[in-house]
Amino acid sequence: MEAASLTTAPGTGSRGRDRTDRRVELWLGALASAILVLIAGMVIFVLLKGMPSFAHNGLAWFGWGGSVDEQLMAIFNSPADPDEYVYELRAWPLLYGTALITGAAVLFSTIFSVLASIFIVEFAPRRVRQVIEPVVRLLAAVPSVIYGLIGILVVVPWVARHLISESRKESVAYVIQLDGTSILVGVFILVIMICPIMIAIVVDALRSVPDKWVQGAAALGVNRWRAMRTVSLRAIRPAIVAAAVLATARALGEAIMLSMVAGSVGFAPNPLDGLTFFLEPARPLASTIVDNAEGLSVEPFGQTMYAFAAILLISSAFLSFAGWAARRSFSRYTLGDR
Amino acid sequence: MSRFKFSVLWLLAAVVALVAIPAQASAKTTITLSGSTSVAPLATLLAQKYVKTKQGKKVKFKILQGGSDVGISDVSRGRVTIGMSSRDPKDSDPGGITFNRIAKDAICLITNKANGIKSFDQSLVQNIFSGGIRSWGQVPGAKQQGTIDLFVRTPASGTQDAFDKIFMSPKKIFSGASQKASNGLVQQAVQRDKAGIGYVSLAFTKGTTVGNYKGVPCTLRNAKSGQYGGVRAFYFVTRGKAKGAAKKWIKWVRNNRAALRIAASEWVPFK
Repeated sequence: MEAASLTTAPGTGSRGRDRTDRRVELWLGALASAILVLIAGMVIFVLLKGMPSFAHNGLAWFGWGGSVDEQLMAIFNSPADPDEYVYELRAWPLLYGTALITGAAVLFSTIFSVLASIFIVEFAPRRVRQVIEPVVRLLAAVPSVIYGLIGILVVVPWVARHLISESRKESVAYVIQLDGTSILVGVFILVIMICPIMIAIVVDALRSVPDKWVQGAAALGVNRWRAMRTVSLRAIRPAIVAAAVLATARALGEAIMLSMVAGSVGFAPNPLDGLTFFLEPARPLASTIVDNAEGLSVEPFGQTMYAFAAILLISSAFLSFAGWAARRSFSRYTLGDR
Repeated sequence: MSRFKFSVLWLLAAVVALVAIPAQASAKTTITLSGSTSVAPLATLLAQKYVKTKQGKKVKFKILQGGSDVGISDVSRGRVTIGMSSRDPKDSDPGGITFNRIAKDAICLITNKANGIKSFDQSLVQNIFSGGIRSWGQVPGAKQQGTIDLFVRTPASGTQDAFDKIFMSPKKIFSGASQKASNGLVQQAVQRDKAGIGYVSLAFTKGTTVGNYKGVPCTLRNAKSGQYGGVRAFYFVTRGKAKGAAKKWIKWVRNNRAALRIAASEWVPFK
């Protein structure tokens, strides 16, 4: 509305302004509904395309059994006859890898970015703050492939050299290969990637907490840290959820970087392996799609990739909904829905 | 306000124009291709270059992928103009088709320079890549000790397909091997990992030790002459002898200098 009245030339009567307002409203409304239609169309398209893969496997699609990479290979090498297309797939290692890497990364970055934001807003000297803030915003804009490059050229070799001993490698040699590309490195770089976004959002939210609230707490005799924890942090819970949802979405969709540093093997890391677990590789859904883009025009293979895409789409839709519900439940004693 | 409206109209016009362009081009001769996913990237590059040349202006391409057998069966039934095949003709192939060789693809076995394995025979390659041997201590000529790191390609890659068929068949690749999405990533991984071994196209062997396969070095010359065992030919398969636009294109692919340069970027050119 404001933008519309700004574009109206000064001196136009109030009737003209009304009409312009309404016209802009219509345009924006049309644009918004077009986007909705586009999204709905996309979801339906992807689901329809991926349907044969789900239909053929049923619920076993989500289960485990055999090597998922060998299954993908068999699908890719399907015979020419459509009646003989191969669809057999047990996608559990990929689903598990996605959940594991995304979950761990978002958990760590939420903790880290909340602490970092409190430092920036409340405790950092002015000079430090003036440097940190622009740097954080710059980091939030760095393309993921750059993180991937640094990961594969610096972090992965370092991990291979210093964290993976020969005896550890030998202990699992016939199951999986430990070469430095691992969930540890994947999560580590993903945390570095999504923290700046979360910090930017949380810092803005902390700033918008009314001074009076914190001062009121201080007047009651609590120290700065306690006032932060009991007043400001509670007040910004919706913002933290919003930041976490955004970060999860980015982590879910991250493909290139994870394909480079997280190992790119359809393997389900085994927590029973102890510390070795963190050094085992995994490959999330998004990376699987990117890695196999070469084969998209092989029909059953393409359909399988669409099935992966459908899972990603549905989980991100579910994610936004869960975030919305969480924000609503928090908004009673806070700054309102954010 | 009106400026805003105009910009939207322009945007719409641009979208309509973009959609309309392919429809306009339908007056041209269309060459359809289907088949091998290993040949398809080369065919795509060649087609993109060809439509920019004088004789190629009248031609339009449509390329579908699906494995050599799909291409051969499609072309024998007349569904496409050219079938792409990355395997040699077989007795069981349908009659009346011609295999036109357009390029070759050599696959070299590479190890880290600190390990420097000079030569492989087929059973050694199969044992290493199937996960039968997991320690360099059991490999003759290895300067490294310890566990072997395998670097292979993703299932959909043509190189993977070729390696499977030429080197591995009938054994399967170890499922715990690290998969890389491109030749360059395999090369990089072997360069940095002393215990690494992988296979790449000829153009990606720099900075590594290239091993002989069955006693023959993996070089462009040996690949061209056919002495090196890890080579497969790329074919454009036609129904009968190539005719018309397809014939002109195949001739261009085999003889034109720009076309040969494209083939040489990752493959072994025809000449």
